Amino acid sequence: MERNILRKYANLFSGYTELRLQENRTSRISVVDGTVMGNSSSSESGVSARSYKGGSWGFASSPETDSEAIEHVIEAATENAVFLDSHLEKAMRQLPVSSAEGTWDYSTKRSVVSRKDKIDFAREVDSYISQKFRKLSTRTVVIHNLDMEKQLITSTGSNAYSMVPRSIMYAMLTVDTQDGPVQLYEAIGGLGQFEDVFARPSDYYSRIDSLYEHLLRKAEGVFPEPGISQCILDADIAGILAHEAIGHTTEADIVRGGSVAADYMDQTVASPLVTLVDFAHTAMGKTCPVPVHIDDEGTPAEDVTIIRDGVLKSYMHNRESAMEFGVTPTGNARGYSFSDEPIIRMRNTAFLPGTSSLEEMIQSVDNGYYLIKSSNGQADSTSEFMFGVTLGYEIKNGKLGRALKDTTISGVAFDMLKTVTAVSGEMSWNNAGMCGKKQMIPVGMGGPAIKCMINIGGR
Amino acid sequence: MSGMNKVSKLYIEAVLESGIQKAQSNLLFTRKTELNAESGNISLLRTTEDVSLSLTGITEGRKGSVSINKTDRNSIEKSIAELVEIIDAGQADPANEIAEFQQSEEFSRGSEEPDMDLMYTRLNAFLQRSSSRYPNLLLEQVILDHTARYRFFNNSNGVDFTSMRGAYNLMVMFTSKDGSNTSSFNYAAVSFPDLSEELHLAGGLDRLMQQSTEQTETQMIEGSFVGDVIITPECMGGFVHTLTGYLGDHSLVTQVSIYKDMLGEIIADERLSLHSRPVSDELAGGYFFTSDGFKAGNSTIIDRGVLKTFLLSLYGSLKTGGSRAVNSGGNYMIDPGDTDFSEMVKSVKKGILLCRFSGGNPSSSGEFSGVAKNSYYIENGVVKYPVSETMIAGNIKDLLNSVKHISKQTVNDGNSVFPWITFSGVTVSGK
Repeated sequence: MERNILRKYANLFSGYTELRLQENRTSRISVVDGTVMGNSSSSESGVSARSYKGGSWGFASSPETDSEAIEHVIEAATENAVFLDSHLEKAMRQLPVSSAEGTWDYSTKRSVVSRKDKIDFAREVDSYISQKFRKLSTRTVVIHNLDMEKQLITSTGSNAYSMVPRSIMYAMLTVDTQDGPVQLYEAIGGLGQFEDVFARPSDYYSRIDSLYEHLLRKAEGVFPEPGISQCILDADIAGILAHEAIGHTTEADIVRGGSVAADYMDQTVASPLVTLVDFAHTAMGKTCPVPVHIDDEGTPAEDVTIIRDGVLKSYMHNRESAMEFGVTPTGNARGYSFSDEPIIRMRNTAFLPGTSSLEEMIQSVDNGYYLIKSSNGQADSTSEFMFGVTLGYEIKNGKLGRALKDTTISGVAFDMLKTVTAVSGEMSWNNAGMCGKKQMIPVGMGGPAIKCMINIGGR
Repeated sequence: MSGMNKVSKLYIEAVLESGIQKAQSNLLFTRKTELNAESGNISLLRTTEDVSLSLTGITEGRKGSVSINKTDRNSIEKSIAELVEIIDAGQADPANEIAEFQQSEEFSRGSEEPDMDLMYTRLNAFLQRSSSRYPNLLLEQVILDHTARYRFFNNSNGVDFTSMRGAYNLMVMFTSKDGSNTSSFNYAAVSFPDLSEELHLAGGLDRLMQQSTEQTETQMIEGSFVGDVIITPECMGGFVHTLTGYLGDHSLVTQVSIYKDMLGEIIADERLSLHSRPVSDELAGGYFFTSDGFKAGNSTIIDRGVLKTFLLSLYGSLKTGGSRAVNSGGNYMIDPGDTDFSEMVKSVKKGILLCRFSGGNPSSSGEFSGVAKNSYYIENGVVKYPVSETMIAGNIKDLLNSVKHISKQTVNDGNSVFPWITFSGVTVSGK
């Protein structure tokens, strides 16, 4: 993408306006039982503008990116805002003004790996699985890459360029049992292009070995006892809890829409062991899975401490919600595609680590469950959540017991977090998260292990 | 858009000229006009135009595909060069094929252009009615759009299909709040061919909004029991999606489907018939041809309990040796039964009226579990109260064979038509 080409259009802005040029590039390779079944790439690019007039927004986009198209979308967005403004009687409101400039390029500086070499990489992983684990009924290896490259200017003076890639390898293993097939998968990778994320297939064999061991135990798994239980949620599930159950209820647009968090500001909503942050780009000195330095409204992105020591302290905002709540925008406005308007989205949402050790936490449970991997999750305006659990174990007298069949857990997050009695000292990120609020978008989710009471489904 | 099918044919020629042996082109133009309301107020007018071009090629059994959203010469040439590289790096598979020749056809349904003023009028009236009739209900987000889609499919066997579909789509997301009591959010998504009716009459939307206002005070069920679950039309789509997932390419090619050996066998209660009708006149949604280039037809997937077809694509059929389905699934309909909904409730001794299901991804063995949202506890034939923190669990195979009643009434949301169905033997657990 040619850089710094938008500035010359700023003189066409009439009132508050954002102009964004964006290209999303994806590549997908899938190998199923040794056969290359998926082998594709895609590119989606274009330009969009969003204008604000008297409390109404106008948005327009075009896949064309020449001067004529760019001028057209600015004009169309302005006209759309004027159309709505002429129909609505809204009090004139001024959006908060802030600006930032910068370039953040996470693309690889290494030699580009060819498509053939990427396919060979996937096939080598598949071959390792096939030769080592004879009991499998089927296996799938997928390599997925997403590059998000964008530049943005705003009437407030922001000017930003970013290129944020993500590369993930999925390995899914299946065994047949008397009760039907049983599956487990692992997602490996994160921020960066293939060249920076994946070196040698053998680097991942130990994780696949571990996945297979878990799968064999799950194949002999049992249903949990339904009801409230003492549970240790491992980092993967703590991360989805952070995102789904708390994160969504504290997005300012959801708060306006009736979220229960509207009533809880500055109140105790969790154990004092719990601190939850939506990191913009850097956490504990390291770059996050989805770094956002300037959001799609041109606001400098800042960390949002949502819960500090158990007390609800902040919501996540775009410019408009910040104006309504009388606070500073936090840089949470993002759109997935060039044709998507920016809406309030999380970036990298995580519980902060505590001081306990995972081993001690497990030893402290007489009768409960250790829940490790999740499939999907949903949450509610009430903070009631549900997560699919694909890997977990019984805990009996402080020791891990039998594996569990697929199950779900649920609870009311702002109640459940008050039952937290231990938080482990080490945290990790789930680098493969996608959030589906109106538009799909990459997010980071993370956390340490958490000991709490939770409702587990079973039969 | 006239003449675009000729352009699409030129893409096929260009792909073949690069040395690729078999070629396929899927070209889609989308024009969308969208009104958004946030927190009950119209806030955004969005107009977007987009194009998507997917080129697929096969050489010596090796297949690849490239998608872009451009149609200029440079972009096409670059994409074809990339396609050649992708195919060269691929692996031969005899199941990689393109659709055989069929007669060229053009299809059209719905309006190409939105009635912008009427969109505004209808949405405004809906917002005003909602706030006056349901003062405790918060409309978190309402999106009313008109979308026109122009599709052009061509391949090197001479397949040449063109279609235009235009429809209005409404998505409403809402929560009710009474003092500090908050309901679960609920939503409805409905499609319709025109704006002749007020928006609240679409699908089951008004019933769901009215229910939401009752759900600010909920109760938890004590303990667990095995009982009946009445699944509502709005909730049915998720279960049908789970079921049809076991009938598609991936499940059957990898042999993990719980129904892999059940074609022609009884898999459900004899009163249950499930259809996929993408070319039904009853629906605003649907499609005229599949993405692999076959004219779509309506099909019956389960006929009075018997599994009649899998949902295999051309690739899936060649890979498994099974028959290719006459469509790509979707636009599902379940035949109505002969029981009035009120009688269905009366026949439940202990159970749940399941209005929304927040469930984990179903397991490969058919097990499902999740939370009953916006749902009600039923005891001795009476709907008692809305529930919270209540989970249900079962197995999809068992569920299909445990039908007690199917309602006379159905709900058409523009993309599917479902009745209410009572299933027995579902585990319900509370605190």
